[in-house]
Amino acid sequence: MTTKLKAVLAAIAALVVVAVPMLAHHSFAAEFDPKQSISLTGVVTKVEWMNPHTHFYIDVKDEKGNVTNWDLETGSPNGLSRMGWTRHSLKEGDVVSLQAFRAKDGSSLASARMVTLADGRRIFAGAANNDGGPGTTGPPPAK
Amino acid sequence: MSKLMHWILLLAIALAVLSMPGNCQPPSPRRPPADGKPAPPAARLPDGKVDFGGKGVWAPIWVLDWADKKWVTEAIDVPFTPAGLALFKERRGNNSKDDPEGYCLPAGVPRYTGTPYPFQMIQLPDRIVILYEGASHMYRVILMNAKHSADPDPSWLGESIGWWEGNDTLVVDTVGFNGRTWLDYVGHPASDQLHVIEKFRRPDLLTLLYEATIEDPKNYTKTWTTSFKVRFQPGWEIKEYVCLENNKDLLHLGTKEPK
Repeated sequence: MTTKLKAVLAAIAALVVVAVPMLAHHSFAAEFDPKQSISLTGVVTKVEWMNPHTHFYIDVKDEKGNVTNWDLETGSPNGLSRMGWTRHSLKEGDVVSLQAFRAKDGSSLASARMVTLADGRRIFAGAANNDGGPGTTGPPPAK
Repeated sequence: MSKLMHWILLLAIALAVLSMPGNCQPPSPRRPPADGKPAPPAARLPDGKVDFGGKGVWAPIWVLDWADKKWVTEAIDVPFTPAGLALFKERRGNNSKDDPEGYCLPAGVPRYTGTPYPFQMIQLPDRIVILYEGASHMYRVILMNAKHSADPDPSWLGESIGWWEGNDTLVVDTVGFNGRTWLDYVGHPASDQLHVIEKFRRPDLLTLLYEATIEDPKNYTKTWTTSFKVRFQPGWEIKEYVCLENNKDLLHLGTKEPK
């Protein structure tokens, strides 16, 4: 398979995944800051495949060697499973890369959006494609 | 990129768009299935009434604002009372941080039909039961051809009675609310005076036409009616959804109590 064809197939997979309805149960805008996008790569230390949101935790090492354990919030197991995730998609010890938006309270919590799994699959993990997060069509601003 | 790959990509985009049942896009006219054939007609029960069940679930879009054309059939100039408007503005001003749903409390009526959680409708001779997946797992009983209680205890879902208009329209009348629900995510308010009349229609197997008329003299000077479509997802089942299982968001939402 050519690299180009692989890229096209990956794009198809991403589109189909994004097109599936997802779930969320609280305000994105009250909890996360759409202006604080971060990219993280780390080792999965724990997975909580539970409602209302799946959380997973990764150890991320900075350039000085300090390790921070990040809490990544994603969609609910119900929504994620309908998008193709399973409870086995993430396992302790996996190295994953992701893009996320930080919590407004400055804690090491972030709302994960695109996650590249250990097997190379890239998958949307947002709580909802309409939860007010960036790249979505959230509610109108206060009038 | 070769021409063939361009076409594959375009096809993928088209397929993705067509496969967007309830993915929070504005309701569009009836979407044919991906094979291009029109959706089959809705099934009928032996008495001729339309059957809102079948193998699958209703998969609503997340109707964030029940008055905004982005999500509902027609834009609505909501007739707020001063008190209703003040509450709505407060909720918009703080990004809905106090939304009861963030606390895993029931969405209530009519909001359940505009939350992004599937539901199923089960029709029995004397009642219709709706099983809502989220948030959280909840059931609703609509007693058919019954009368409202004289003084129902206030509750999250209220007391629902239903009847048929012809064989195609299910009408549900609900009162007896506790005043703790919101009508939608953006925070259109609902008080204990809320009275909701819903109409359910199924013009084809894959489409639910949903309409809700809102009466609440504490928050609105007159009734207002909104409507949108819900898509049927054949083959899906509802799943367990226990919202309180791991609700860590309250630690970060900056809220102290649902309002």
